[in-house]
Amino acid sequence: MMEPRNPGMSTVPQTAAAHTDSSTPAVEMDPVEYTLRKRLPRKLPKRRNDVYVNMKTDFRAQLARCQKLLEGGGHREICVHGLGLAINRAINIALQLQASSQGALQLAANTSTVELVDDLEPEDPDEAGEPMTRTRNNSAIHIKVFYPDPQ
Amino acid sequence: MEHQPTSFSPSVPLSSSSPKPGQSNFRRISRTEDSSPFPIPGLAADILHMRVKEGSKIRNLLRFATARMQGEGRDSKGASLRQVVFSGSGRGVTKTITCVEILKRKMGGLHQVSKLYYKTVNEVWESPQQGAPGITMERTVPAICILLSKDPLDPQEPGYQPPQTLSPSAEDTERRRGLLRTAQSPSSQQTAKRLCLDDYSVCPP
Repeated sequence: MMEPRNPGMSTVPQTAAAHTDSSTPAVEMDPVEYTLRKRLPRKLPKRRNDVYVNMKTDFRAQLARCQKLLEGGGHREICVHGLGLAINRAINIALQLQASSQGALQLAANTSTVELVDDLEPEDPDEAGEPMTRTRNNSAIHIKVFYPDPQ
Repeated sequence: MEHQPTSFSPSVPLSSSSPKPGQSNFRRISRTEDSSPFPIPGLAADILHMRVKEGSKIRNLLRFATARMQGEGRDSKGASLRQVVFSGSGRGVTKTITCVEILKRKMGGLHQVSKLYYKTVNEVWESPQQGAPGITMERTVPAICILLSKDPLDPQEPGYQPPQTLSPSAEDTERRRGLLRTAQSPSSQQTAKRLCLDDYSVCPP
């Protein structure tokens, strides 16, 4: 098993290094087929008043959760986070909270970039090719929903 | 709770028999967005405003914006711009944020203020049956407006973000990459040149 694999493994990086010095690493993918597996985003710190919005949970459930935190939970501020496609939903939740509070709540939005890791696993284990990882960026939003301090 | 993410509030009374708009037999005639003023206070009227739509290409938007911000059109206007506003709504919101994030990384030292708001869009729908009244409806879509500025902004403003200082690890990798490039490129260039020269010396005679 090791004999046919070794020469393959040694040739692939060489050819890749020879003509992809400055170009994108995507060229390296050509010889072998890979399955692309997306890892979950890096675990982020989570306080009691952090809400990470996703696209799987029902919109109303997530909105209700935020309302519960602000009204029943006694939090003066909560943080609503959204990544990628969920940015829209995070904004929607924040704006809905603000609208239903009759202007008592304020929003402060921050944007950021999150680095995501994809795993590339060779489709055919006999062919030359080792598991690789690739990083890409995605946009994220962090919205602070808070009652402004009375001054 | 009274209005949902995309709320339909018809301003023309609907007869009970008419089908709901949004179905295929209704045709949308026009779609107008309200030209709301910037949600960010204290902006000049002639500020560079990038309207990011769902189908906008990020490279087109950024090519234009960076050219204006870095002052490539110096001869016409005199100086490069200090501020730029990006705004987008609905499905263009993600793209807007991505544009801003890339521009911040590219230029560095930009102060940012982000604002969220609902944008109202007026749509006029026409019914296929003759004589049946058309429908105008107001939809609200979430929108974002981001101001990027080379000059400092008010840190007390909600949604303010200071310029990002490069984290040491990122800086290191950048520098290492740069070193690698500088270390590699001369030799490769030289070999390339030599090859060319060889070719020339061989070819002309």
